[in-house]
Amino acid sequence: MIRVEHLSKEYKIARRKPGLRGAAQNLFHRTYDTKAAVSDVSFSIDQGEMVGYIGANGAGKSTTIKMLCGILTPTAGEVKVAGIVPYKQRQRNARNIGAVFGQRTQLFWDIPARESFNLLKHIYQIPQHRFAENLRTFSDVLELEPLFGRPVRQMSLGEKMRCELAAAFLQDPLVVYLDEPTIGLDVSVKARIRQFIREMNRNRKTTVILTTHDMQDIEEICSRLIMIDAGRLLYDGDLRSVRQRFGNRRTIHFDLATPATDTGMPAQLAPWVFAEWEGRERVHIQFDARQTSASDVIAAMLQSYAVRDLTITDPSIESIVKDIYERGLS
Amino acid sequence: MRKYIEIFKSQLQLDAAYNGWFWANAVASVIGLLIAFSFWHAVYRNTTQIANMNLPKMISYVVIAMLLGNYVSGVGNRLSESIRSGEVAIELMKPYDLLLKLIWIDLGSKVSASVRDSLPLLVIGYAFLGVQAPVSLAGGALFAVSAMLGVLIGTQFDLIIGVLAFWTVNVWGLRVLRRGILSIFSGALIPVTLFPAWLLHISEVLPFQSMVYTPVAIYTGAIPLQAVGMTLLIQAVWLIGLYVLVRLIWSVALRKVVIFGG
Amino acid sequence: MTVWRYARLYLEFVKQVLKVWLEYRVDFFIGALSTIVIQFASLLFVTVVFEHIQQLNGWSFYQILLIYGIAATGRSIHLIFFDNLWTLGWQYIRTGNFDRLLIRPINPLFHLIADRIQQDGVGQLAIGLVVLIVAATHDGTVWTPINLSLLVLLILSSGVIFSAVNLFFATLSFWMVDSLPVIFATFSLSDFARYPLTIYNKGIRVLLTWIIPYGFTAFYPAASILEPAKFGLMALITPLVAVICSVLAYLFWNVGLRAYTSTGN
Ligand SMILES: Nc1ncnc2c1ncn2[C@@H]1O[C@H](COP(=O)(O)OP(=O)(O)OP(=O)(O)O)[C@@H](O)[C@H]1O
Ligand SMILES: [Mg+2]
Repeated sequence: MIRVEHLSKEYKIARRKPGLRGAAQNLFHRTYDTKAAVSDVSFSIDQGEMVGYIGANGAGKSTTIKMLCGILTPTAGEVKVAGIVPYKQRQRNARNIGAVFGQRTQLFWDIPARESFNLLKHIYQIPQHRFAENLRTFSDVLELEPLFGRPVRQMSLGEKMRCELAAAFLQDPLVVYLDEPTIGLDVSVKARIRQFIREMNRNRKTTVILTTHDMQDIEEICSRLIMIDAGRLLYDGDLRSVRQRFGNRRTIHFDLATPATDTGMPAQLAPWVFAEWEGRERVHIQFDARQTSASDVIAAMLQSYAVRDLTITDPSIESIVKDIYERGLS
Repeated sequence: MRKYIEIFKSQLQLDAAYNGWFWANAVASVIGLLIAFSFWHAVYRNTTQIANMNLPKMISYVVIAMLLGNYVSGVGNRLSESIRSGEVAIELMKPYDLLLKLIWIDLGSKVSASVRDSLPLLVIGYAFLGVQAPVSLAGGALFAVSAMLGVLIGTQFDLIIGVLAFWTVNVWGLRVLRRGILSIFSGALIPVTLFPAWLLHISEVLPFQSMVYTPVAIYTGAIPLQAVGMTLLIQAVWLIGLYVLVRLIWSVALRKVVIFGG
Repeated sequence: MTVWRYARLYLEFVKQVLKVWLEYRVDFFIGALSTIVIQFASLLFVTVVFEHIQQLNGWSFYQILLIYGIAATGRSIHLIFFDNLWTLGWQYIRTGNFDRLLIRPINPLFHLIADRIQQDGVGQLAIGLVVLIVAATHDGTVWTPINLSLLVLLILSSGVIFSAVNLFFATLSFWMVDSLPVIFATFSLSDFARYPLTIYNKGIRVLLTWIIPYGFTAFYPAASILEPAKFGLMALITPLVAVICSVLAYLFWNVGLRAYTSTGN
């Protein structure tokens, strides 16, 4: 369905000189910095796959997605989506895809959601019966009914995102790109959106590519992960092996009531944990749940230090990427 | 007072940047001058006097009036925007009088605009379009006083429109209406003395001709020096009257804000 | 085939806009009314001047009105249908909203234009038509079906020229992020077109005829009807100028689009 070969994108950034003189100089002679946002990335995705495309901020995720949409032309390499080169046949490619960009809206700002959908029906030439049926199914899962009468500009973030998602799937696309669809949403809206994406994929074999910084999104939606870092492909494989490696990793953050005099770990913990101090009143302790348990770590720490507060977290996408980058996935 | 002077100075600095809009406005102004110049030359092709004005006098009037006409609008827009967005509530809690602050901001940006925008155009006017110097030194000085009064009258009128935002949703329509009225009656396009008698009578009882026509007529000598004292008095009366009116509407509006909570 | 599809689609956009207008009826009337007031002010200006003179450089009051009417009507076509071009820089490119147009299976320029239909232009159209009718019935022209349909063609061409020039300068937004000051400055050139070009000096006439052809938005069309012997040829050229301007502007737009998709925003 999607084939990406040796894809690269370099941005040219004009170096601006300040002031009126600088502006005049810029007019005649510009100097550019080039910034490689995506470098030599290759992968291919089959129909019906749900892929998590992850990486740290600025890794090049949005840039890749824009090239897959046809919004950006690559500097080098080749892209094919359903047999079409997106940036060469942008309008034909547009028929096959749907997209959500979490930061901005795809809908019409001023007119009620119902009319927005109606316009999309005409733009994509969706047959009336498909349109009606889709809208009905979507409103069941996303609870769109109460939103139909309102224009996007009067909607909350969560309400807006539910409409965006409906708009992206409305024309029965082959591929849907979701760039941070859950950013800034509360737990219940996130859950609803994930359920919707899963159902779409199950019932219609829609291929989904998802970028996110939320590990939960990946766990619940994707079966495959593609990781990039600084524009380079870092990992491409199934979620399971990543989960085996990181699924048992925990981090406990301790706040101490009094500054620690000694930053060594209690002897019974030392072999199993990795500690990272932040000043003398804060420490993050990482460990593998198969080797030692959270309760052991906490008990040992309570004995050695005056602990004021603690929290337990799962690893973030960023820390996983960092880890794979530094140590590989063996 | 100190406070307001600071506001005034900061506005001077804010406007100092030469950006794309500066050049765009400059181009538009030069085009406006060229059109007026060509138009009036064509008008005088078959005649030497119109309403007691010869061509050089008319050109002087039109150019100076055009430049002065840029100053009859001002901060009213800013006021109505802050009313609409509700920001005015925050402004009202600050330790200064909002109306005075706006008037000083207005003056600040107008002073910088006069150096930055009008001065170059005036030079073009003198050098290429045949604009005449004021009738006499005294005439020039009195023009400056009268122009100052005219600009202040313009500011008050603009503020009145701005305050009305407390009542009407669509201030923008009112602003366009104001622009239409001013372009007819202020004298920025054409000396009001060219009006047919009935229109002239209407204009004479309205404050608008004090904004542009009066100062420029002093400049060209259409109002003789001995009559200037009287016209300055009329301007001063209008200024005070409008200022009182702004204050009045403002206090009514504030009572409304207190009662309805914005 | 495609033309038909786009026409139907445009109608759908128009329907939406009409609904919004109906929702904000008061705004609509105030908007239309205020533009009428502005237009009225400049008409009054011409009227007052003609109280004192018989003719302007050989053109009578009603002939000047005809020029004015054609300019106002042509401009209103541009304002009503192509107004959104003005907002390309700050509403679409700066905000990244332009990407939205690029992932739709329709022409992005069409999408941009159809996204908004401007209500203010309706007031301008109304006053333009009234002025046209007053002028046409008083300026001494004998109206036949032929020169009447010519007039309609010329006014449409005028609207197209206004729009094409604006499209050209709006396209600069792809490089400068916001070309609004440039559009504003060039658009102010169109004020020249309200009066006979013969009152201006040679440089201005050349500029408005051959470089930024605003002369064809009002003066040449009017003159070709008022003085067919002298300016008749210009009537024939006007639609041609409109076509050439549109083609050039559209080609330039495509260049801009390509620049946008290769640099991102
Ligand atoms: N239009 C642009 N011009 C220049 N540089 C850009 C442009 N867009 C992005 N970049 C740079 O390219 C790199 C990749 O950006 P991209 O938006 O693809 O990252 P991302 O993975 O989506 O990050 P995030 O998680 O923050 O959304 C960044 O370093 C960014 O600064
Ligand atoms: Mg991104």
